[in-house]
Amino acid sequence: MRFAALSRFAVATAALCLLSAVMIAQESSQPRRTTNAPPKPSGATPRTADGHPDLTGVWNGLGDNLNGIPNQIANNGLAIESDSVTRDLSSGLLIATFPRNTTRPQNNEQAERAASLLRRVGSNRPVYKPEYWEMVHYLDHNSNEEDPSNNCMPAGIPRGGIPSYIGQQSTHLMFVYPGQGGLIATQTMYRMIPLDGRKHTPLQELDGTHTGEAIAHWEGDTLVVDSWGFNTNTWFDQIGGYFHSENMHVIERFHREGNTLTWTATVNDPDVLLEPWTTTPRVALLNPRPNALLPESLPCSERDLGHVVTKEHH
Amino acid sequence: MRFTPLTALVVAVAAAAAVTVHSAGAQSAPDRAKLLRAAADALGMVRWSDIGAGTTRLPAIDIVNTMELQGSGTIEGTGGSAKIQYHADIGYNPPAMRVEITRPGPGGAPQRTIQTVREGYAWDESEIGAGLVSGKGVATPAMAALRERLLQLWTLPYGVVKAALSAGEKTIVSTEGGATVITFPLTGPLAGITVRATLDSSNLVTRVETRSDSPALASLVTQTEYSNYGDRAEVLTDIKSPGRIVRRQNGRTVMDVEVKTWETNNPYLVFPVPANVKAAAPANSR
Repeated sequence: MRFAALSRFAVATAALCLLSAVMIAQESSQPRRTTNAPPKPSGATPRTADGHPDLTGVWNGLGDNLNGIPNQIANNGLAIESDSVTRDLSSGLLIATFPRNTTRPQNNEQAERAASLLRRVGSNRPVYKPEYWEMVHYLDHNSNEEDPSNNCMPAGIPRGGIPSYIGQQSTHLMFVYPGQGGLIATQTMYRMIPLDGRKHTPLQELDGTHTGEAIAHWEGDTLVVDSWGFNTNTWFDQIGGYFHSENMHVIERFHREGNTLTWTATVNDPDVLLEPWTTTPRVALLNPRPNALLPESLPCSERDLGHVVTKEHH
Repeated sequence: MRFTPLTALVVAVAAAAAVTVHSAGAQSAPDRAKLLRAAADALGMVRWSDIGAGTTRLPAIDIVNTMELQGSGTIEGTGGSAKIQYHADIGYNPPAMRVEITRPGPGGAPQRTIQTVREGYAWDESEIGAGLVSGKGVATPAMAALRERLLQLWTLPYGVVKAALSAGEKTIVSTEGGATVITFPLTGPLAGITVRATLDSSNLVTRVETRSDSPALASLVTQTEYSNYGDRAEVLTDIKSPGRIVRRQNGRTVMDVEVKTWETNNPYLVFPVPANVKAAAPANSR
């Protein structure tokens, strides 16, 4: 127990130092955003030679976390529009909003507990068949041990959200999702997605994978990525214990407008869900630097889980 | 007008006087927004986080949505007093509650009732989630119980603070016998009912009374006491929850529950309305 406590202290101290360093570095370069409302699009939407919107780019312009990966927390279904207005994007309900009444930073424990609550406060939840309610509840409650993306495993689809990089060719797309080391350890993920009109392989002929078999097509100016053939080693959202079966079918929609990219995913899994579930739309901002590159991800090496002694989420 | 030193002095004195008058006025009537914030803070409802978002400084928001409490105690009914196991799933977005009460039945076999409400619908479930999948339990519409069930939700400490904030200028804050009291009207299906909540010196809700001038709403006049606050969640959240709930009607105790756990980490709880319940509800509920 003593070692565990020391380890937690060391991890917390290291995290605070890292967070502080990043915050100081970012503070000096740009003002902090005081809302998480989606950014307004600006500029023209570039198009490829065949007339479709060109989604190519590094989509981390919001620079929200350590690697500049599009932030999941700010897209938890609540739009904080001002110091006094927060709206649940799914139900439309206004959420009471208060100015911060202290300039003192929260300690690591306070911040983690608050982050855990904030990630779960939105109303847009998938509705499982009643026989699975207790299981989802259990998986979320015990996510420190049960979350399949811990221990450096891929987040999977659609949990990966918006890729940080999209490379678009006329016949295929490349999506890159950088992994993260440190306290939230996940593996880098990529997808090569054909855009050549081919059909899906019959489901029973596929060996399930973390990202499934994805095929893309255009519906007007919206890129639709249709995926099936998953294994059951992923959850389909960032939190919540949202497990799925091998029959999960995911439809993602990408729509570029100027320098913004709006993404939604619809999950259909008749084995476990009462009805299909659609994520709250997320919006990514194009990295404005024409020479932007993705930094190398920290090597994923999970060393914290063995020292976790409570059910608090991290 | 030329701005002479004399003018400046007059303006300064006038401004100081205005501030003094304003302050005196503010002290004579408690500041509603400040007090409601204090009540929300005392429960741990007001939170913010910049983790994973070093480029933001977001305001704080009310982070209470779903909760689950388990306890045991007694209820008083037409058949007398009974020992019960009490289990409640709570949600505020959308407003919903599922109360499961288990008591000894004839011969000692446990009897279970599951009473559910969501927005404009109330129903009983033969098992959790009954009526949603063919062949899995029976959902029985119980629209006559809609207001009583919604009232349980909105008279919980978190419901009181949320409803008082939502009532805006209709919420009145006063001091009575040294204690702070918040009074506000409920709306929607609960229109006609006024809530009067008493806070302790830590700004925690300790007593909630509902009142109505309408004889039709007499059955909804209750007094509920909350005590022994603490963090009773296995996933610690810094949200305080009461350890004991005592509900009275006409001075008679109708429920007395000791809380064992109160999970506050917005657990996975859903309240889909079965199709037959929707179909049976009046058109204005849908």
